[in-house]
Amino acid sequence: MTGCRKPEKYGHYSTLKEVANVGEAIVITSGKGGVGKTTTAANLGTALALQGKKVCLVDTDIGLRNLDLVLGLDNRIIYDLVDVVEGRCKIHQALVKDKRVDDKLYLLPAAQTTDKNAVTPEQMKELINELKREFEYVLIDCPAGIEQGYRNAIAGADSAIVVTTPEISAVRDADRVIGLLEKEEINPPKLIINRVRKDLINQGDAMNINEITTHLSIDLLGIIVDNEDVIASSNKGEPIVMDPNNKASLGYRNIARRILGESVPLMTLEEEHKGVFKKLMSIFSR
Amino acid sequence: MKNQLVHMKGTKDGLVLRLDDQCAYQDLVEELERKVSEGGIDGRVNVSLDLGYRYLLEQQKQELINIIEHPGKMVVSKVLSNVITVDENNAKMQGNLCDTYVGIVRSGQVIQAPGDIIVIGDVNPNGKIEAGGNIFVMGKLKGIAHAGIGGDREAIVAASWFEPTHVYIADVIEVMSNEKPIVKEHAEQLFAYINKEGNISYDRLQEARKIRPLLNTKGGS
Ligand SMILES: Nc1ncnc2c1ncn2[C@@H]1O[C@H](COP(=O)(O)OP(=O)(O)O)[C@@H](O)[C@H]1O
Ligand SMILES: [Mg+2]
Repeated sequence: MTGCRKPEKYGHYSTLKEVANVGEAIVITSGKGGVGKTTTAANLGTALALQGKKVCLVDTDIGLRNLDLVLGLDNRIIYDLVDVVEGRCKIHQALVKDKRVDDKLYLLPAAQTTDKNAVTPEQMKELINELKREFEYVLIDCPAGIEQGYRNAIAGADSAIVVTTPEISAVRDADRVIGLLEKEEINPPKLIINRVRKDLINQGDAMNINEITTHLSIDLLGIIVDNEDVIASSNKGEPIVMDPNNKASLGYRNIARRILGESVPLMTLEEEHKGVFKKLMSIFSR
Repeated sequence: MKNQLVHMKGTKDGLVLRLDDQCAYQDLVEELERKVSEGGIDGRVNVSLDLGYRYLLEQQKQELINIIEHPGKMVVSKVLSNVITVDENNAKMQGNLCDTYVGIVRSGQVIQAPGDIIVIGDVNPNGKIEAGGNIFVMGKLKGIAHAGIGGDREAIVAASWFEPTHVYIADVIEVMSNEKPIVKEHAEQLFAYINKEGNISYDRLQEARKIRPLLNTKGGS
């Protein structure tokens, strides 16, 4: 079981990393679709790269790829993950470089046409291990569901991030996925609550942060506010995290810093409404 | 002189028939038939059959009972034995066990126990506990609990926070969507049990000792 009282750090893998001199593979998963896994992968990857880390994003949503779109890299794809696994090309030929963050961020795109059972968990594990030799962080964007695609995505992961929104259905699915992840030999999963709207929480129309974290009882890595610029920026192919003044961007940057081992307080909502929502404040300053 | 294989003793509750547990089964059968046919009994008497340390198959037990009851004078009301098989013993032990599960029972997970179970943690919606005996949840019960799954209608489901979606006890099912007032008003420290009418009822934990006195295995003043 995982407690909630561990320090706000994600770097518990770092000792192993130093010894073996390999990167950390983090799968981003949720159970439910449309909660923001791909958005989170694109933005955290970019944020880590902006912090100077060498990052590879892996899209495992075979048949429904869109991480490349969110990053604006779709028209540069030549080979994909299935081509690599089936030996039609070398990993390097398939990696697409993001020119915005100088030489730090790469994408291994998913195949768009192939059947999603084309890849096995063993092949994925081998692939991720190879990427970990070169990259400090390998972020794996997981498809929705808990079937083959999910098993492929978690196969090579050292840690997991579970993304949910403050909706009961998303939290239920997160609970299911956390239960499955806890059976794997990976670090205890951490939580990101996405699309948080303080107006809905205050009206009681959405679960509040405290309810969600006590229900799921895993460490909270951060919260991301609901912000329409996120959608606009995804459509433009430029992750919101490139905009230093956006609220959602700040959330992603803070999470990236927590992944790097910094302790950054959770205060996104509190800042916006100083002193007004005492209850919320007390939650975030726990 | 040959040892007697069948001892008969009268008590105020009837006869006790103690059977030798060392001799061959066939000898015992013959001796018992002889003893029973001797008669000398008026009316009908209750008999306790004491097998000592002899292990008998179910059909052998029945054979002896038939011999005793055949003349129509004696009725075997009790069979005593000092031995049970390893299998029977294991089954008994399992039923008496109290398992402990530490952790959260998450959506889609099922935790099973042959006897009682204590869950140190929450049972989340769509999480399920199945126990042959009682279920005690130290955290929040928000999922599904099935106590007495083998048919024990005395079993209870107790929780520090009682907010399940479904409660089953033995063969009785309760869907909590039509929430009972007591559960709605005080989810804290409740338990569910089958009442005299055969339906699932709820009460405060404080009442458990009155409603299920046998739960208590420790004395105390
Ligand atoms: N914080 C946010 N605020 C507003 N819209 C968001 C946010 N996060 C994600 N979205 C939008 O939600 C939709 C689904 O996101 P996506 O990342 O594709 O989910 P998933 O990969 O889990 O299916 C997209 O249109 C995306 O732009
Ligand atoms: Mg996606």
